[in-house]
Formats: sequence, C-alpha cells, structure tokens
Amino acid sequence: MLGRAIRSMDVMVHSSTFLLPKLHQPGHTPAKNYALVVLNQNLPRFMPRLWTHAKLRICADGGANRIFDEMFQLTNEQDYERVRNRYIPEIIEGDMDSIRPEVKRFYSSQGSQISDKSHNQETTDLHKCISRIHRSTSDHEKTNLCVLVTGALGGRFDHEAANINILYLFSDMRIVLLSDDCLIRLLPKTHKHDIYIESSVEGPHCGLFPVGAPSGSTTTTGLKWNLSEAKMRFGSMISTSNIVHAEKGLGWNGP
Amino acid sequence: MAPTPPVRPVMSHSSAFLLPSPPSSSAAPDGDGDAYALLVLNQRLPRFAPLLWDRARVRVCADGGANRLFDDMPELLPGQDPDEVRRRYKPDVIKGDLDSIRPEVKEYYSNMGTQIVDESHDQDTTDLHKCITFVTEKLAIPNRSNLCILVLGALGGRFDHEMGNINVLHLFPTNRIILLSDDCLIFLLPRTHTHNIHIESIEGPHCGLIPIGAPSTTTTTTGLRWNLGKPPTSSIQYQQQLVLNLQILSPDDTSMSFGGLISTSNIVEEESVTINSDSDLIWTISLRHHS
Repeated sequence: MLGRAIRSMDVMVHSSTFLLPKLHQPGHTPAKNYALVVLNQNLPRFMPRLWTHAKLRICADGGANRIFDEMFQLTNEQDYERVRNRYIPEIIEGDMDSIRPEVKRFYSSQGSQISDKSHNQETTDLHKCISRIHRSTSDHEKTNLCVLVTGALGGRFDHEAANINILYLFSDMRIVLLSDDCLIRLLPKTHKHDIYIESSVEGPHCGLFPVGAPSGSTTTTGLKWNLSEAKMRFGSMISTSNIVHAEKGLGWNGP
Repeated sequence: MAPTPPVRPVMSHSSAFLLPSPPSSSAAPDGDGDAYALLVLNQRLPRFAPLLWDRARVRVCADGGANRLFDDMPELLPGQDPDEVRRRYKPDVIKGDLDSIRPEVKEYYSNMGTQIVDESHDQDTTDLHKCITFVTEKLAIPNRSNLCILVLGALGGRFDHEMGNINVLHLFPTNRIILLSDDCLIFLLPRTHTHNIHIESIEGPHCGLIPIGAPSTTTTTTGLRWNLGKPPTSSIQYQQQLVLNLQILSPDDTSMSFGGLISTSNIVEEESVTINSDSDLIWTISLRHHS
C-alpha cells in the first residue's frame, strides 16, 4: 500500500543557515541568498545580523518606522545617527498609511525607492512586497532565494492569518516568517521535505500543522514523536510541542 | 416538495465582559448570563487583565501563567502597592505540569490558599486543554456548562503553542472559549449554528473570518463592509430565510480557503454581525486601544 501511495516526489531541502553568524556558514551547504521583508511590528532581537547579510531589504509601509526607531537598541553602537544611516532599505513598499512622514523623507533622501501602492487596496502590504519579489525573480532563482519576513506573526490575528495565507498563495517561493520565538514555513504537499536543523539556534520545540485543510497522511523521521501515515486536522490531532532529535528531520505528506 | 431542512440553532455572542462598566441588565434569570472563568497562560498580561480578573467567577493560572500574574499585575496597577496587588489578585487554582512556575511563586500562592494541581503525569494534552477540562468538568459551580471561558496569553509567542490553543477551540466546539490579546480576540464559530455577534463599543473595526481547519464552500454574512455570500433581498426575507434555513447556503456563495480567499482586514459596519457557514470558522475582531 505504502509503495503505491507514495509517488516519486521531488525533495525540497530547507535550512536556516541565515540565522547563523556569517563565519559559521558550513562549507557543504551553500549560503542561501535571501531577501528580507520587514512588517510593522517590534523588530526581533537578531535583526541587525539578518539585515547585514540580506541580498535585498524591503520595508512594508510601517516596517520602515520600526527600522528607524528600533534598530539602534538592537546594536552595540553608541552613535544613534550612524546606526540610522547604516540600515537603509532598498525599497519601501505599500499603501503608505502607516509610515511616518519624517521616516519616509529620511529614507527617500538616503536613496530608498519609495513604491507607493496606495491605489491598490485589494492586497495587503506583505502581498505587495512578495509579489514584487516574485515578479522580479526567475523560476530558477526562486528555488535558491529565500524570503525572510519579520513582524508577520503575533499582533492582530487577521493580519497573522493573511500573512500565513501568503505562504500558500506563493507556494513556489521559499518564504519564512520569523519572530523572536520561532519561525514557520509551508511544506507543500507536492514535495518530500528535508529540514536541516541548526541546533545552535533552532529547536528543540517544533510542530506540524494542517492549516487550511486536513492532512490525510503525514510521515516523519527525526522527531521525538514521529508520525506514521498519521491523519491530522484541527478538531483532532495536530503536532505541537514536538522535539527535534536528529540534525535532520524528514517529513513528507502523502495524499 | 422537499422536506423542510432542520432549523439551524442560533448562537449569540457578546463581549460585554470587556466593557469598563458592566452591562446594566443580565440576560439569564439566575444572573449567570455574564459569568465567565478566566484562564491565564504564560505570556505577558494584556492591559485589561485587572478588569477581567475583578469580574471573573473563577480564576485559573496554567503553570507559568502564575509567574505572569505575580510579575505583571502590579505593573498594570502602578498606583498601588505591589504586595497588596498580589494579595488581591490571587488565583483560585494553578494547574498544569508545573515545569514553568517559579518555586517562590508557587509557594506564595500556595500559602495564600490557591489550589495547586500537579498534572505533570499527563503529557498528552496542553496546559490550556487541561484547564478547559477542569473548568467544564470539575468546577463546583452552578451552570458551569454555560460558563464563558476567557483565556489570556494564548495568542502570539511560540507558534506551535498558538496552534495548539486554537485546536482546543475546535476540540471544545460547544463551549464558549475566547482567546484574548492586547490587539484582538478570537473564538470559534462552529458550523452547526447560525451566529449572531453583538459588537461592543470597545471592539472593532477590523475583523476577519478564518477557515483554519478546512475550506468553506459556502459562507454568508451580514453587518460587514465586505459581506460574503448572496446579499439578502430584504431584512425580513433574510430573517425568514434564517428561520427556515432555506436559500442561505447555495452554490454561488463565497468560498474561503487558505491558498484562496480568506476574510481579513474586514470592517464591522453594524452593531450586529451574522454568520452562516458550512465549515468551522475562526472569528476575530480587533480591540480598540482606548486612553
């Protein structure tokens, strides 16, 4: 039954090397390129490092206020202006109803591209930012480019749900939502997934959630409580407070 | 002619417990209409925690929620003596696997008479699940099955905790469990009922309907800026339709799913919102940040 049920599926490999200090990038896994999108919530404590190594930095509207206001206290710097001048986003995108006028003026004067999409009220600011990256990335590059998003979790629940929906709407992209406490990614059911765990910065707590639809069959390895063709749905079993055991956890969804 | 489909029972919801002054009339004859249990999980207390605490019928801390009560309540009442605040804001029960509560906090509340229930033998259910079971099954208060359960600290933080807490809403669909944060509240709208949500002044305007567990093929709403489903031709006709459960759920009503449309950043436009769906939905509404 198992042999027939599992078709030969492509494997998607995931790792969070972007969380490591640059010097510790392991030789065998190529350092991933990533774009950074900053939404309008308190910056996570590791933001300076994420910012420095990003290929592209986009603030979604009020995310620019957060960089302007909060970056300084996350660095060890003494000079407020120097910090402010160092962390300049390439793009500020959105409907511009949250960014403060003085913040917009400052970044504009420092060379940030201000992409005013206020005429478009159909999509969220995150959607606009991800759309832009999606449009300007070739299919080949999409498999190598990670998009890290800060400020997408917590806060208003409808915002969080809309942000999670972005993972589904752009499931051909590797988008990671990060907070101070955790990160989340979508594991599309079309693939098997290999997740490399950076145990110095990740874990041990983990989970798998069938958000949006029940899962008929999930099988994992590398967890303390592995699943074996398990059915998961809200209202029944979902995998929370699990623990990663190995350095690599493997999971895939069947039909 | 097809037999009349069964009438959908109506579930009414209101967040009057959040109002600064309690509502003047109580719905139930025994005065229990507004009774609620308050559960505190292990995250920073929201700013309205003192108000909710004062009016609760019973107060339970889930493990490290006791730390939060001990540390944060005096901060929320800055004009008052911290020791006096801690004495006054004492939980009835502290429950869970007790691996987060600080020893001195446990001792403090134990000495004050709080019941400490050690559930560390049970690793299969979350702390919230244990507390809900406790409130619904074991509490010695009248009408406990009608009791609303308000939960602080269930949203944000570790995502697997949040998902586990949302799953508890689905595991107890007939209980009224509301998860609250500084920014919003959420509760489950089980698909078995028509829902009538009374909007209080302290709520809104931003709201949403989230099909988190499964897609919804047909959802109909009223009272929102962007309503879902076919608009009623008149309110009298709509009331008739609700009673007879006819014509509400038809194939061209708006479907919702992750990967497709979900209702977020919607706006409440009327004092009462009604929702009918073929799938369980999470309702969420923002809370106003008053001065």
